[in-house]
Amino acid sequence: MSAPRKQPSAAPPPAGVDLVEWYFEQGWTDGLPVVPPTPERIAGMVDALGGEPSCVEARIPPRWATLTREVLAINLVLAGCLPKYAAVVRATVLALVSPHFNLNGVQATTHMAAPLLVVNGPVRGEIGLNGGANLFGSGYRANATIGRAIRLVLLNVGGAWPGDLDKSTLGHPGKYTFCIAENEEASPWAPYHVDRGYAPDDSTVFCIAAEGPHSVTNHVANDPEGILDSIVSSMSTIAHNNAVSSGSCAVVLGPEHAETIAAKQWTRQDVRRYLWSNTTNTYDDISFNGRYGQIYNRNLPRWYRRIPGARIPIVPSPDDIHLFVAGGDAGRFSAFLPGWGHMSAPVLRAIDGHPPRSGGCVDGTCEL
Amino acid sequence: MSEYQQLPSGQIVFDPRGKVDADPLSLAPRRRSLDGACVGVLDNSKWNASQLLRKVIAQIEAGVSLADVRFYKKASFSRQAEATLLDQIAAEVDVVVTAIGD
Repeated sequence: MSAPRKQPSAAPPPAGVDLVEWYFEQGWTDGLPVVPPTPERIAGMVDALGGEPSCVEARIPPRWATLTREVLAINLVLAGCLPKYAAVVRATVLALVSPHFNLNGVQATTHMAAPLLVVNGPVRGEIGLNGGANLFGSGYRANATIGRAIRLVLLNVGGAWPGDLDKSTLGHPGKYTFCIAENEEASPWAPYHVDRGYAPDDSTVFCIAAEGPHSVTNHVANDPEGILDSIVSSMSTIAHNNAVSSGSCAVVLGPEHAETIAAKQWTRQDVRRYLWSNTTNTYDDISFNGRYGQIYNRNLPRWYRRIPGARIPIVPSPDDIHLFVAGGDAGRFSAFLPGWGHMSAPVLRAIDGHPPRSGGCVDGTCEL
Repeated sequence: MSEYQQLPSGQIVFDPRGKVDADPLSLAPRRRSLDGACVGVLDNSKWNASQLLRKVIAQIEAGVSLADVRFYKKASFSRQAEATLLDQIAAEVDVVVTAIGD
């Protein structure tokens, strides 16, 4: 680290500028107070990233500034991260800058999408990531500050300031932090990353440009079909971006719903196929029954039948539904998270960057 | 290279933004008149882009005589146009019109 190192001191800090306010004045925060970086904190974070502070990790669009390890470390400290979170943040950044993800588009779009991070593997327990109760909500430092560090990189280095290079009409609260873990311990199935070719003791981060979670309530069904029909209902609207731009989406099954479904010997793939084949959008729905003239919609796959009565899938295939089990052990709830559309593909990356046992990956990041 | 500075108070602060290393690009020479020009139309593939661009071309043609109008389309409205497409446009037309057409 090239910044000056200071000797730790037990003396109280000298009177001076209120640094929290100083960072606000520079415009280098997400709107919340930051942790003022010190040479010691940054040195510790650079060490956790592998040393070499001038090492270039990425260039972040749409500003395309250079993200060195030192700059990444500064943002990690500002966000309130512990050094043990650094590897997850670094892996996430490298996944997001994969061409498959099209971060330039995700940052600049008028849509509300934000990168959702889902972490699998032993690192969840090692750093205290929440995959249980209230996992999309507040209360856990790892979830809160890892997602926040990503947002600060996207803002400070990527330049995605609202109204400037971030053109989102509405945004959503996940633009502060949007990081969860799969609840592998409560899942009746193999973890998501194992399903994608990694070993159970690998740790990975999955990223998808997503809308906020849409709650799915079903307290009555005691069979897979009943629970999944409620999720089908949440997916079958013409309002979310998958309906008009195809692409991919995420579904988070609450543990109680997953348990009921798996008790009938349904697999993760069975669930994805049922959801895909039973959504009910039709060409009539998405074309507003011809009220505005003939609408072709060039952003849906060419092979969709554009005739009255034709079913319009929410995403092109069951594999485009990314299914996780997560949440608290009580409550019959799940969630549907629409994606941004065909403009961005979800990506999966091992925290240490090594490839899965199978599949097509480039530089350690896999297009899904 | 380091991202720190020292305030007059003696406190050290850090710039989290990183440096932009790219050189600025200069604009191509501007054309004084469209009379006799070969005009390209780059459709970004959004919902209303094609309609908007065709109306723009119709308005242009109401005032000047164009040598030719050629139409091109990006594969994805959200991604950069392919380098080969940009090279093709640069080789085939004098000016190009594009639009978002959301």
